[in-house]
Amino acid sequence: MNVSQNYVSQLMGRITTWARVNSPWAIHFNSGSCNGCDIEILATLTPRYDIERFGIKLRGSPRHADVLICTGPVTRQARERLLRTYEQMPDPKFVVAVGSCGISGGVFQGCYNIVGHINEVLPVDAFIPGCPPRPEAIIDGIVKLLTHLQNGTRPEPIQFAPQETA
Amino acid sequence: MTTETLLQRATEILAPFSKGNNNPETNRLDVEIEASDLPSATAALMDNQWGYLSAITPTDLGKEVNKLELLYHFCEGAAITSLRIYLPREDQPDVPTISDQIPVASFFERELGEMLGVHVVGTPDSSRLFLPDDWPDGVYPLREEFSMEQAAPVEPRETLPEMGRVGNKFTVPIGPQHPALKEPGHFEFAVDGEIITGARMRLGYVHRGIEKATEKRNWIQNLYLLERICGICSHTHTSAYAMGAEKLAQVEVPPRALAIREIVAGLERIHSHLLWLGVAAHEAGFDTLFMYSWRDRETVMDLLETLTGNRVNYSITVLGGVKYDFTAEHSRAIHKAMNYLEERIRYYLHIVTTDASFLQRTRGIGTMTLEEAKYFGALGPTARASGLERDVRIDSPYGAYHRFPVSLITDERGDLEARFEVRMKELLVSCFTIRTIVDNLPPGELAVRFPRKVPAGETVSRVEAPRGEAFYYIKSGGGESPVRLKIRTPSLCNWTSALNKAVGHQLADVPMLIAGMDPCFSCNDRMITVRRKNDSHTLTWSQMREYGIKKYASIREPK
Repeated sequence: MNVSQNYVSQLMGRITTWARVNSPWAIHFNSGSCNGCDIEILATLTPRYDIERFGIKLRGSPRHADVLICTGPVTRQARERLLRTYEQMPDPKFVVAVGSCGISGGVFQGCYNIVGHINEVLPVDAFIPGCPPRPEAIIDGIVKLLTHLQNGTRPEPIQFAPQETA
Repeated sequence: MTTETLLQRATEILAPFSKGNNNPETNRLDVEIEASDLPSATAALMDNQWGYLSAITPTDLGKEVNKLELLYHFCEGAAITSLRIYLPREDQPDVPTISDQIPVASFFERELGEMLGVHVVGTPDSSRLFLPDDWPDGVYPLREEFSMEQAAPVEPRETLPEMGRVGNKFTVPIGPQHPALKEPGHFEFAVDGEIITGARMRLGYVHRGIEKATEKRNWIQNLYLLERICGICSHTHTSAYAMGAEKLAQVEVPPRALAIREIVAGLERIHSHLLWLGVAAHEAGFDTLFMYSWRDRETVMDLLETLTGNRVNYSITVLGGVKYDFTAEHSRAIHKAMNYLEERIRYYLHIVTTDASFLQRTRGIGTMTLEEAKYFGALGPTARASGLERDVRIDSPYGAYHRFPVSLITDERGDLEARFEVRMKELLVSCFTIRTIVDNLPPGELAVRFPRKVPAGETVSRVEAPRGEAFYYIKSGGGESPVRLKIRTPSLCNWTSALNKAVGHQLADVPMLIAGMDPCFSCNDRMITVRRKNDSHTLTWSQMREYGIKKYASIREPK
């Protein structure tokens, strides 16, 4: 590879990152949520919070999306669809889990139709806690994810404390 | 007619079938009948125009009693008549269907089948409602002996028979992940050109198993679990549950607490209807209205936050009262916000009734007559837009609705335009009621002590959610948690009408038709099949795929 080719590929890489950071398109998937988080995610799109000023747009198709915003615990029926949606997204892709249920299963832990939290099904990059999180918190979480993108790093993988056995 | 005369009439109507009557509460009649008499008893009630089927509560009475209990609740005004049927507990006991008389019963009957293993004879569809495709056969989560080990995933079975292609008709699948749906649901529309000839849906994507979970949590924990049935109408669920539990525990809630609950219920109705207006406008391609209504909705969200500390899932209700008091500062904030909202709502009312391009999407679409609304068992604004006067706040006032009544809004036209108009006018009523309560808030305590254990008994509580009547049946065994808690939410009853009305319309009207009933998947998660025309020939999914490959190959290589 000669010098000019190397330079071009580096430049292309910088342009891609710049584009990615400034216009991450998101897709929203509800895998068993109570709607609380979903209406707050919708609220971030509307004039008061206006998430589009960060270039973030909610898209209908997983094939257009960079970020998968998940809400709710994962139910047995929704699990396969959640995985399918994730697989249809082009690389590089990021997963954001919104709300307590997505983090731990929340109040629905132990219900018979629940597989578990989202990290049991997909690799989650950012967790946004709250029941439901405020729109500001959702924006904050996504912006934190974008900062990592800018630096070319992935967020630190989250280590769950091992469950104590009685 | 008063509640007493209504119950008296029900007693007379049901006398030929009765094996024993009692009145568990002043507004309830409980009639024990034989399972085989069920269709004729239902027919007798329907012929005499006595009420509508509100819910079916199946309960497993356990190994000791060795019986299953089915309760068919019919409501008329404030009166509730329950037909009580006992079945043997041995596998798959039989009960005859009533869905030929009452279409909405078909969902409840499918629930009986999968949750409790009751075999409903003659029901049009006995496939899965809630449970996932990989759920093993013969495992019923509401049975006493159910354990998680039994429910280990098995090879998924095909629950939806494929509709495929017939002549010029195609199946258009929508969901569970789709831009027009904010929540997961799967629809299949059979279309002939652009015209819909059949509609079917599969839910269960957000079924979590809350009814079973309530039995493992105590009375207080359940309050917070039930609040999370639905984030949009969370206050409805806590109110209904708290009302029932308070009735069972014979706790008298202070009037100030009841009034504060009604204020929050009113604010919740405003936030829910404005949310719905935005989503429905978005489905119609009118994004400006979506942004406007959601901007104004933030006014209500701010009020809810100042009052309760939370934007969603307010948790203001506690068993025995409310958590937070209402101050003069709140009152000023509410008056100011109501001034703004009333002006905006009048503007929206003007838009939805005059904007020409919007009216093309709503006027004359999905028209439901009064008879159809009754037949399909529609509830809430969907029913009221067809002239059906059905509103629990007026028929059976609960909480502070005796003291601060609301007025009934109905419309005769029954199309989408009427539903928009009814909801907008209801918002004005809510604003007015909230102002009245704020100005006349009764003084006194906020909450009274609620016992840890609730005396044995059973009760029904009904609350008007923004979407229609929510029905709660609560049974206590005298312990720290309920023995059985049955929830029937309004969206479920409205699906029958929405999907039936879709047939004959254009495919492009589907998002509007679905939005028109304001569906809430998280609270009603079930699966439904309705009305299919000319599907004598159906293909499986793989056959359909094969057909598609052949078809496109033939197009590519013209002979």
